[in-house]
Amino acid sequence: MFTQFKTVLAASALTLALCSSAFAQDKPKVAFVPQLIGIPYFNAMEAGGKRAAQELGVEFIYSGPVDTNPVDQLQIVQNLIDQGVSAVSVSVLDASAIAPVVEAAKAKGVKLFTSDSDAPDSGRAVYVAQATDEGLGTTIIDEMVKRVGPDAKIGIVSGEATASNLNAWIGFMQKQAKAKYPKLTLLEPQYAGGTAQRAAQIAGDLMTANPDLKGIIAVASSTCPGVAQAIETAGKIGTVVGTGYCSPNTARAYIKSGSFGFSVLWDPAQLGYLTVWAGKQLIDGKPFAAENAVPGFASPVTYNADHGILLLGPPAVFTADNVDKFDF
Amino acid sequence: MIAIGGREWALLGAVIVATILFSVASPYFATAGNAGTIVRNSTELMLAGLGMTLLLAMGSIDVSIGILMGLAAIAVAHALLAAFAPPLALLVGPLAGAGLGLMTALVVVLGRVPAIVGTLGLLGIYRMGVFALLGGQWLSGLPVGLTELMSSRILGVPLSVFVIAFAYLLVWLALRRTPYGPQLLSIGNSEEKARLSGVPVTKIRIATFVISGALTGLAASFYVANYRNVEMAIGSTLALDAIAAVVLGGTSIMGGRCSLLGTALGVILLRILQNGLLLVGVPSLWQAVVTGGLLIGVLALELPASRMGEMKTKWMQR
Repeated sequence: MFTQFKTVLAASALTLALCSSAFAQDKPKVAFVPQLIGIPYFNAMEAGGKRAAQELGVEFIYSGPVDTNPVDQLQIVQNLIDQGVSAVSVSVLDASAIAPVVEAAKAKGVKLFTSDSDAPDSGRAVYVAQATDEGLGTTIIDEMVKRVGPDAKIGIVSGEATASNLNAWIGFMQKQAKAKYPKLTLLEPQYAGGTAQRAAQIAGDLMTANPDLKGIIAVASSTCPGVAQAIETAGKIGTVVGTGYCSPNTARAYIKSGSFGFSVLWDPAQLGYLTVWAGKQLIDGKPFAAENAVPGFASPVTYNADHGILLLGPPAVFTADNVDKFDF
Repeated sequence: MIAIGGREWALLGAVIVATILFSVASPYFATAGNAGTIVRNSTELMLAGLGMTLLLAMGSIDVSIGILMGLAAIAVAHALLAAFAPPLALLVGPLAGAGLGLMTALVVVLGRVPAIVGTLGLLGIYRMGVFALLGGQWLSGLPVGLTELMSSRILGVPLSVFVIAFAYLLVWLALRRTPYGPQLLSIGNSEEKARLSGVPVTKIRIATFVISGALTGLAASFYVANYRNVEMAIGSTLALDAIAAVVLGGTSIMGGRCSLLGTALGVILLRILQNGLLLVGVPSLWQAVVTGGLLIGVLALELPASRMGEMKTKWMQR
């Protein structure tokens, strides 16, 4: 019953989106289907997509499920294909279930590709990726060293020990430290799960056990608030630099209080822009080059032909100077 | 029930031994700063554990307290965002918690669902509630008003310590000076006999869930004050920690026996172990192993196998 209601809701939202676009039928339509509508992260992608659509002369349709339900998401993608969009991009919820929809798109001549979350073996046209694990790992170490020096001692507080993406980032942090800063001491990672309480407890204990600690990296975004709060409570603002992979909205208060020096992530608005740009390229039948000049991007966007991945670029660093320019 | 017995002395001994061992192993353990850290990290568990003590003493249980704290914390956070005066925001937690406790009581007591099953079901429902209310985003960097209030000092002692002491005193008085205490324990010993001897069983059981909810809600106010954050996974380790501390403290998981001092000492011992192990370099992943191991160890030592069966029947009845 509830599922039916949601489908109706999603369908009516879609109809609305299509009706409002009926006036500009000559422009090709590029759609993006997020994992979930109504959250700041995807709102930012939508805003970037809209801007790109205006600048590149396409029509942008944004429609997605009201909760992270893969079945609803595929239904929406299927509807968009039936409605005759030229290209549709998906932030995939269930990579194993998307293949039939990719086939349906191909049969209708619709370019289907992925953004933000991939389905590598589905036959999608391209994957617009936000950042690499290596980029995220090395950037946070480089930025930290800029603030605490190359011979500091740094603690790592992660979330679940089983999270493969977090472990990959930690691996690249350790690799970068070893290769570029031999005098840097990275403590063994500690795992706090998902609560601010555990993150604060562990970060506090790390500072007690290591009075010479200069920095703490919160690897899971859920550990950012706890680590920042522990630095504040311990009165170590200015002595210990906190950082983590968290959105500007999460990090803002801590960057302003000084418990966080910076935060590292990517800019979803730029990712939305690049998604629409990629859709336009696919519609125009232009192949991606190894390096692509995209309007509004400081550095060229690289394309990995082996894996079919278009990379947004180096991760974004949010500091006191720019954090207020973002809202996600 | 409240007098210092063998268990409390044993716990006190364990706390002292742990303190000595960790002090020898790490130069940073026995410092005023670290003592403050341990106390600060104990506050929510002290309160949630107090509620759990009453529930276990009654022969009941609530495995959803962590997420109940999460819902109450969302209420406290919104009170702060709506610029409530900090003392008012502090009260929002216990009020919201009492309301949620009443809901739990409706399911478990009036719905006649066994407590362990009913609260497990509520755990799922409440978690979805937290997800829906947070809408995929955490409440981060909340106003500092409540934090400042709780850390304001009276005679050098933070207000938070007084609030916790006051909560323990109130519960102690209720147990010791009102009919509530004997009635609660008689239900824990045997619900049937309690009913036959005229104890208002339904009323007492509902009241106890409400009291536990209010105490867990007060813990939520502390959580928001301590971390100024409400995240999706809030409270996910609270139920395990609370049950472990309470059982460690000598409250019977079968009901009929409770110790408030034991609960407080159990919480302190748990937090000292977690803190000390990290200070001497044991990875934090082992902390859950310590908690779980202590819980199993105490139960195995306390409950002869024959009574395990009794526990099963008991929990399935309620």
